[in-house]
Amino acid sequence: MNCTKTELLNALNDIVGAAGLKTEPADLETYGKDWTKFAKPAPIAVVLPADAEAVVALVKLARRLEVPLVPSGGRTGLSGGAVAPAGELVVAFDRMNNILEFNAADRLVVCQPGVVTEQLQQFAEAEGLFYPVDFASSGSSQLGGNVATNAGGIKVIRYGMTRQWVAGMKVVTGTGELLSFNQGLAKNNTGYDFRHLFVGSEGTLGLIVELTMSLTSLPKDPSVMLLGVEDMAATMPVLQACQAKLPLTAFEFFSEKALVHVMAEKGLQRPFESATPFYALVEFENQSDADMETAMEVFEHCLENGWVTDGTVSQNLTQAKSLWRLREDISETIAQFTPYKNDISVRVSKVPEFLQEVDRLVGEAYPDFEIIWFGHIGDGNVHLNILKPADLAEAEFFEKCAEVSNWVFEIVQRHGGSISAEHGVGLLKKPYLHYSRSKSEIAAMRAIKSVFDPDGILNPGKLI
Amino acid sequence: MKVLVAIKRVVDAYVKVRVKSDGTGVDLANAKMAINPFCEIAVEEAIRLKEAGAAEEIIAVSIGATQCQEQLRTALALGADRGILVENDEALEPLAIAKLLKAVVDKEGIDLVILGKQSIDTDNNQTGQMLAALCNWPQGTFACNAEIQDGKIQVTREVDGGEQTVLLNMPAVVTTDLRLNEPRYASLPNIMKAKKKPIDTTTPAELGVDVSSNLKTLSVEAPAERSAGIKVESIEELVNKLKTEAKVI
Repeated sequence: MNCTKTELLNALNDIVGAAGLKTEPADLETYGKDWTKFAKPAPIAVVLPADAEAVVALVKLARRLEVPLVPSGGRTGLSGGAVAPAGELVVAFDRMNNILEFNAADRLVVCQPGVVTEQLQQFAEAEGLFYPVDFASSGSSQLGGNVATNAGGIKVIRYGMTRQWVAGMKVVTGTGELLSFNQGLAKNNTGYDFRHLFVGSEGTLGLIVELTMSLTSLPKDPSVMLLGVEDMAATMPVLQACQAKLPLTAFEFFSEKALVHVMAEKGLQRPFESATPFYALVEFENQSDADMETAMEVFEHCLENGWVTDGTVSQNLTQAKSLWRLREDISETIAQFTPYKNDISVRVSKVPEFLQEVDRLVGEAYPDFEIIWFGHIGDGNVHLNILKPADLAEAEFFEKCAEVSNWVFEIVQRHGGSISAEHGVGLLKKPYLHYSRSKSEIAAMRAIKSVFDPDGILNPGKLI
Repeated sequence: MKVLVAIKRVVDAYVKVRVKSDGTGVDLANAKMAINPFCEIAVEEAIRLKEAGAAEEIIAVSIGATQCQEQLRTALALGADRGILVENDEALEPLAIAKLLKAVVDKEGIDLVILGKQSIDTDNNQTGQMLAALCNWPQGTFACNAEIQDGKIQVTREVDGGEQTVLLNMPAVVTTDLRLNEPRYASLPNIMKAKKKPIDTTTPAELGVDVSSNLKTLSVEAPAERSAGIKVESIEELVNKLKTEAKVI
């Protein structure tokens, strides 16, 4: 920064006015961090632009004064991508939260980046349509952040990641230039598609100031089948059988250990009498009455082959939601055990082998560590959680876990997997990026960044 | 002891129902249907009595269109032994339902009838009481606990301001409240087995019951929509609005 703080604040005030500027310590604390805890927030100020023009002016100012910018949405990220630990200026989009335009024939909705994910979901539903990207934090996460991190969630197997729903976007690059990409076109083969470069760029290439999102048809009522699986390897033929016959919307898994914790903490009943080491949660859409019959046939087929030993299926939507809780409440339930968490992916078919390898390695080195597995097995994305033993100090635990991280990432690398399936890289995974991306790739990423952000003022220190 | 549980097929509790534009009722075309949640609790209670050795047979009965078989199958999967469908396409009022249930009770020699306290679609809360009156049996309504004791049934009832415990001679009628139990999930193997359990079909005519209605629905309307709240800028503005708009002070 080549000016005093007062000069900066005065200049910011000229752009956004007092209503768009926050400098109270409590605000700096709130806006300077995401859901991660490892970095202490220390932004110089928080600025809340009201429109794209203000964003352009802000970036130009930041470039002139050499002030690093950290874009901030709902701050529900899990990799420190929106953390401002070093005197950065946080640019929050809370005031740009309007849905600007909707066209039923195009099935496109133009949103400002501060629109909350749930807001778009509800808007779509009121129009008889559906925005299918959904995850635990959809009540507070913002679209700009969803796109910048290419958020995934629980319906990826059917609807893909956020990327699939971005039909157009406007961004302000690090030079203060306002660019518009793709303008909602379904077909547009005119060279490099910058839209996809900015999806998942974690605020390192530009600030998203407008999004054109696609909507789809409302799904029919879902049914949820929960299957008891004796052996992780058996989930693969089960997945195959379900995919072949049913309109799947989710295929999740969790371990018996995870279930035991959730039942105890949330006072939920065991879904069926027999306990099995793993459970597969299968959600499918009832497009016709025949789908439930088919589900029964699939279950019988899996039972005859010995892949599953027991199971249940929701008889109403209340039960469908209750069964989902067994999976969705895991994260919150185990939070009390100060868990080490890791979000990784490998090819779907390699998941069972991958789990076994990690279990064996960690089990041998630290037999007192309790490993809780759950995740979106239908798209190869697993969440590894290790609970801190009660008698182990936090610092010592995380030190040992850092070692575990390296082992896990080596296994990920060997399987050609990803060190961050849906949580992004941010600050947390940056040191490990090389396990998933080659030196040349990372160099190319840096080169691309220098095109859009030549002075490196956009979210410096993150991702690459 | 033979237990009869009554099951109503209703719109799923999570479906947002809309009133038909002609005001004749709510639009249930393609809506997800399910067992009335209170009836589910009744089924669960009957199963628990059987598991505790207090009941020998559970018969599930549903009155309505052919599709009610789906809900009967669910009850059979949960643990009922056999089903009876009293087929009737018209919507019936509580008294007609109570008369039909009375006919089934007499025919089957039932010792205990467990029903939901009300259905979530019409919210009448009448059938159990009417049935008890027609049978001249004691009734334990709004049950949050039920225990068999020496041939009698002790029922704890949810009443205004607390609980009331009654001891009923058998045979008896019990209607369920929400806290009575948490219904189990139907296991897939049991759903498969339930396909082989018998469902007998009968009609009001076969049971000798006149189900003609004394009521006519004139029109069905959605409740008036509430307008969204507003934020006031100052206490003065609030007071002013309370005086001039809400007219409460």
